[in-house]
Amino acid sequence: MSSHPARTHLARTFEDERYAWARNRPVRRRAVVGEAALLSALVAATVVAAATGSGWTTWFFIAWMVGMLSFIPLHSVLNLGIRGVLDRDGRSLDEHQRRLGERSHRAVGWPSTALTFAAFTGAVTVVAVTGHVTLALCLGFLLWFTGGLMTYWHLAWTSPEEPADVDG
Amino acid sequence: MGRQPKGETDKVHDRIGVLRADRGVSRKDLAEAVGVHPQTIGYVERGEYSPSLALALRIARYFDLPVEAVFSLEPLPSLSQELLRRTS
Repeated sequence: MSSHPARTHLARTFEDERYAWARNRPVRRRAVVGEAALLSALVAATVVAAATGSGWTTWFFIAWMVGMLSFIPLHSVLNLGIRGVLDRDGRSLDEHQRRLGERSHRAVGWPSTALTFAAFTGAVTVVAVTGHVTLALCLGFLLWFTGGLMTYWHLAWTSPEEPADVDG
Repeated sequence: MGRQPKGETDKVHDRIGVLRADRGVSRKDLAEAVGVHPQTIGYVERGEYSPSLALALRIARYFDLPVEAVFSLEPLPSLSQELLRRTS
Protein backbone atom coordinates (compact mmCIF):
# COMPACT_ATOMS: atom_id res chain seq x y z
CA MET A 1 0.00 0.00 0.00
CA SER A 2 1.48 3.32 -0.93
CA SER A 3 -1.25 5.86 -0.27
CA HIS A 4 -2.67 7.16 2.97
CA PRO A 5 -5.91 5.45 4.00
CA ALA A 6 -8.77 7.65 2.79
CA ARG A 7 -10.86 9.22 5.54
CA THR A 8 -14.42 8.54 4.47
CA HIS A 9 -17.33 9.29 6.80
CA LEU A 10 -17.88 5.55 7.32
CA ALA A 11 -14.18 5.03 8.04
CA ARG A 12 -14.21 7.85 10.61
CA THR A 13 -17.15 6.23 12.37
CA PHE A 14 -15.42 2.87 12.56
CA GLU A 15 -12.21 4.50 13.77
CA ASP A 16 -14.01 6.56 16.43
CA GLU A 17 -12.46 5.92 19.83
CA ARG A 18 -15.89 6.15 21.49
CA TYR A 19 -16.41 2.60 20.20
CA ALA A 20 -13.10 1.21 21.49
CA TRP A 21 -15.07 -0.93 23.97
CA ALA A 22 -16.52 -2.91 21.05
CA ARG A 23 -13.02 -3.86 19.85
CA ASN A 24 -12.17 -5.93 22.91
CA ARG A 25 -11.97 -9.62 22.05
CA PRO A 26 -14.62 -10.74 24.63
CA VAL A 27 -17.12 -8.19 23.28
CA ARG A 28 -16.46 -9.26 19.68
CA ARG A 29 -16.84 -12.92 20.55
CA ARG A 30 -20.05 -12.32 22.50
CA ALA A 31 -21.47 -10.52 19.47
CA VAL A 32 -20.57 -13.51 17.27
CA VAL A 33 -22.21 -15.95 19.70
CA GLY A 34 -25.26 -13.68 19.92
CA GLU A 35 -25.70 -13.50 16.16
CA ALA A 36 -25.16 -17.24 15.73
CA ALA A 37 -27.71 -17.98 18.49
CA LEU A 38 -30.22 -15.53 17.03
CA LEU A 39 -29.99 -16.97 13.54
CA SER A 40 -30.12 -20.55 14.87
CA ALA A 41 -33.28 -19.66 16.79
CA LEU A 42 -34.86 -18.15 13.67
CA VAL A 43 -33.96 -21.21 11.58
CA ALA A 44 -35.42 -23.46 14.30
CA ALA A 45 -38.60 -21.36 14.45
CA THR A 46 -38.94 -21.55 10.67
CA VAL A 47 -38.44 -25.32 10.62
CA VAL A 48 -40.93 -25.77 13.48
CA ALA A 49 -43.50 -23.58 11.74
CA ALA A 50 -43.08 -25.58 8.55
CA ALA A 51 -43.09 -28.96 10.30
CA THR A 52 -46.20 -28.30 12.37
CA GLY A 53 -48.10 -27.17 9.32
CA SER A 54 -49.01 -23.89 11.01
CA GLY A 55 -47.40 -21.88 8.22
CA TRP A 56 -47.10 -18.08 8.37
CA THR A 57 -48.78 -17.35 11.70
CA THR A 58 -48.84 -14.24 13.87
CA TRP A 59 -46.37 -15.72 16.37
CA PHE A 60 -43.98 -16.57 13.58
CA PHE A 61 -44.26 -13.06 12.13
CA ILE A 62 -43.57 -11.56 15.57
CA ALA A 63 -40.62 -13.91 16.14
CA TRP A 64 -39.20 -12.98 12.72
CA MET A 65 -39.62 -9.24 13.32
CA VAL A 66 -38.09 -9.37 16.81
CA GLY A 67 -35.22 -11.47 15.49
CA MET A 68 -34.47 -9.20 12.55
CA LEU A 69 -34.73 -6.02 14.65
CA SER A 70 -32.45 -7.53 17.32
CA PHE A 71 -29.95 -8.32 14.63
CA ILE A 72 -29.38 -4.63 13.80
CA PRO A 73 -27.74 -3.53 17.09
CA LEU A 74 -25.98 -6.87 17.43
CA HIS A 75 -24.37 -6.58 14.02
CA SER A 76 -23.54 -2.92 14.63
CA VAL A 77 -21.53 -3.90 17.70
CA LEU A 78 -19.82 -6.72 15.82
CA ASN A 79 -18.97 -4.44 12.90
CA LEU A 80 -17.61 -1.75 15.20
CA GLY A 81 -15.50 -4.46 16.82
CA ILE A 82 -13.81 -5.26 13.53
CA ARG A 83 -13.63 -1.60 12.47
CA GLY A 84 -15.94 -2.36 9.55
CA VAL A 85 -13.03 -3.89 7.68
CA LEU A 86 -15.37 -5.92 5.44
CA ASP A 87 -17.71 -3.04 4.60
CA ARG A 88 -15.42 -0.07 4.13
CA ASP A 89 -14.01 1.27 0.92
CA GLY A 90 -10.72 -0.54 0.26
CA ARG A 91 -8.92 2.81 0.06
CA SER A 92 -9.69 3.45 3.72
CA LEU A 93 -7.97 0.21 4.78
CA ASP A 94 -4.29 -0.30 5.28
CA GLU A 95 -2.33 -3.41 4.31
CA HIS A 96 -2.84 -5.14 7.66
CA GLN A 97 -6.61 -4.63 7.63
CA ARG A 98 -6.85 -5.82 4.04
CA ARG A 99 -4.80 -8.86 4.98
CA LEU A 100 -7.17 -9.71 7.85
CA GLY A 101 -10.23 -9.38 5.60
CA GLU A 102 -8.72 -11.57 2.87
CA ARG A 103 -7.69 -14.19 5.42
CA SER A 104 -11.26 -14.43 6.76
CA HIS A 105 -12.74 -14.60 3.24
CA ARG A 106 -10.41 -17.49 2.45
CA ALA A 107 -11.02 -19.28 5.74
CA VAL A 108 -14.80 -19.48 5.37
CA GLY A 109 -14.93 -20.01 1.61
CA TRP A 110 -16.08 -23.62 1.70
CA PRO A 111 -18.47 -23.41 4.69
CA SER A 112 -20.05 -20.34 3.15
CA THR A 113 -20.54 -22.07 -0.19
CA ALA A 114 -21.97 -25.11 1.61
CA LEU A 115 -24.51 -22.90 3.43
CA THR A 116 -25.52 -21.23 0.15
CA PHE A 117 -26.12 -24.71 -1.28
CA ALA A 118 -28.01 -25.69 1.88
CA ALA A 119 -30.15 -22.56 1.49
CA PHE A 120 -31.25 -23.66 -1.96
CA THR A 121 -31.79 -27.32 -1.09
CA GLY A 122 -33.46 -26.45 2.22
CA ALA A 123 -35.93 -24.10 0.55
CA VAL A 124 -36.73 -26.65 -2.16
CA THR A 125 -37.20 -29.35 0.48
CA VAL A 126 -39.58 -27.22 2.55
CA VAL A 127 -41.73 -26.48 -0.50
CA ALA A 128 -41.67 -30.12 -1.61
CA VAL A 129 -42.57 -31.52 1.83
CA THR A 130 -44.87 -28.88 3.31
CA GLY A 131 -45.93 -26.65 0.41
CA HIS A 132 -45.17 -23.48 2.43
CA VAL A 133 -43.47 -21.20 -0.10
CA THR A 134 -43.08 -18.24 2.29
CA LEU A 135 -41.44 -20.37 4.98
CA ALA A 136 -39.21 -21.94 2.35
CA LEU A 137 -38.07 -18.46 1.30
CA CYS A 138 -37.49 -17.55 4.96
CA LEU A 139 -35.36 -20.65 5.53
CA GLY A 140 -33.43 -20.12 2.31
CA PHE A 141 -32.81 -16.48 3.17
CA LEU A 142 -31.62 -17.31 6.70
CA LEU A 143 -29.15 -19.95 5.52
CA TRP A 144 -27.86 -17.76 2.68
CA PHE A 145 -27.58 -14.81 5.10
CA THR A 146 -25.67 -16.97 7.59
CA GLY A 147 -23.26 -17.99 4.83
CA GLY A 148 -22.55 -14.32 4.16
CA LEU A 149 -22.06 -13.55 7.85
CA MET A 150 -19.46 -16.26 8.38
CA THR A 151 -16.67 -13.99 7.13
CA TYR A 152 -17.66 -11.38 9.74
CA TRP A 153 -17.80 -14.03 12.46
CA HIS A 154 -14.41 -15.45 11.55
CA LEU A 155 -12.81 -12.01 11.52
CA ALA A 156 -14.45 -10.92 14.79
CA TRP A 157 -13.48 -14.20 16.47
CA THR A 158 -9.88 -14.40 15.27
CA SER A 159 -8.75 -10.76 15.04
CA PRO A 160 -5.82 -10.13 17.36
CA GLU A 161 -6.32 -7.97 20.43
CA GLU A 162 -5.47 -4.43 19.43
CA PRO A 163 -2.43 -2.77 21.03
CA ALA A 164 -3.85 -1.12 24.14
CA ASP A 165 -1.17 1.50 24.46
CA VAL A 166 -1.83 3.54 21.35
CA ASP A 167 -0.45 6.89 22.33
CA GLY A 168 -1.11 10.42 21.22
CA MET B 1 1.56 -7.12 1.29
CA GLY B 2 2.82 -8.09 4.73
CA ARG B 3 1.66 -11.05 6.76
CA GLN B 4 1.40 -12.53 10.20
CA PRO B 5 4.56 -14.46 11.14
CA LYS B 6 3.99 -18.22 11.30
CA GLY B 7 6.72 -18.85 13.87
CA GLU B 8 9.72 -17.44 15.68
CA THR B 9 12.01 -18.01 12.65
CA ASP B 10 9.55 -16.13 10.46
CA LYS B 11 9.37 -13.13 12.78
CA VAL B 12 10.65 -9.70 11.74
CA HIS B 13 12.27 -7.87 14.65
CA ASP B 14 12.26 -4.10 14.74
CA ARG B 15 13.35 -1.03 16.69
CA ILE B 16 10.32 1.09 15.97
CA GLY B 17 9.36 1.46 19.63
CA VAL B 18 12.87 2.56 20.65
CA LEU B 19 13.16 4.95 17.71
CA ARG B 20 9.76 6.46 18.45
CA ALA B 21 10.71 7.01 22.07
CA ASP B 22 14.06 8.49 21.05
CA ARG B 23 12.52 10.90 18.56
CA GLY B 24 9.41 11.61 20.63
CA VAL B 25 7.10 10.35 17.89
CA SER B 26 3.70 8.90 18.72
CA ARG B 27 2.30 5.85 16.93
CA LYS B 28 -0.34 8.08 15.45
CA ASP B 29 2.26 10.48 13.99
CA LEU B 30 4.27 7.63 12.53
CA ALA B 31 1.15 5.89 11.19
CA GLU B 32 -0.02 9.06 9.47
CA ALA B 33 3.42 9.64 7.96
CA VAL B 34 3.68 6.15 6.50
CA GLY B 35 0.01 5.74 5.52
CA VAL B 36 -1.29 3.05 7.88
CA HIS B 37 -3.51 2.93 10.94
CA PRO B 38 -1.89 3.41 14.38
CA GLN B 39 -2.87 -0.09 15.49
CA THR B 40 -0.94 -1.54 12.55
CA ILE B 41 2.22 0.14 13.86
CA GLY B 42 1.39 -1.48 17.21
CA TYR B 43 1.08 -4.93 15.61
CA VAL B 44 4.44 -4.44 13.85
CA GLU B 45 6.08 -3.32 17.11
CA ARG B 46 4.67 -6.37 18.92
CA GLY B 47 6.01 -8.67 16.19
CA GLU B 48 2.49 -9.85 15.34
CA TYR B 49 2.62 -8.50 11.82
CA SER B 50 5.48 -8.53 9.36
CA PRO B 51 5.17 -5.38 7.25
CA SER B 52 5.36 -5.36 3.49
CA LEU B 53 8.65 -4.28 1.99
CA ALA B 54 7.08 -0.97 0.95
CA LEU B 55 5.88 -0.25 4.50
CA ALA B 56 9.23 -1.26 6.00
CA LEU B 57 11.03 1.09 3.60
CA ARG B 58 8.65 3.95 4.37
CA ILE B 59 9.16 3.48 8.12
CA ALA B 60 12.95 3.41 7.66
CA ARG B 61 12.80 6.52 5.47
CA TYR B 62 10.68 8.29 8.11
CA PHE B 63 13.44 7.71 10.68
CA ASP B 64 16.08 8.55 8.06
CA LEU B 65 17.80 5.24 8.66
CA PRO B 66 18.69 2.28 6.45
CA VAL B 67 16.01 -0.40 6.59
CA GLU B 68 18.38 -2.93 8.20
CA ALA B 69 18.85 -0.53 11.13
CA VAL B 70 15.12 -0.67 11.84
CA PHE B 71 14.18 -4.24 10.84
CA SER B 72 16.02 -7.52 11.15
CA LEU B 73 15.31 -11.25 10.91
CA GLU B 74 17.55 -11.70 13.98
CA PRO B 75 16.70 -10.21 17.38
CA LEU B 76 18.14 -6.70 17.40
CA PRO B 77 20.62 -5.83 20.18
CA SER B 78 19.56 -2.96 22.39
CA LEU B 79 20.90 0.46 21.44
CA SER B 80 22.95 0.66 24.66
CA GLN B 81 24.64 -2.66 23.80
CA GLU B 82 25.28 -1.38 20.30
CA LEU B 83 26.86 1.84 21.64
CA LEU B 84 28.99 -0.10 24.09
CA ARG B 85 30.22 -2.38 21.31
CA ARG B 86 31.15 0.60 19.13
CA THR B 87 32.93 2.55 21.86
CA SER B 88 34.89 -0.36 23.33
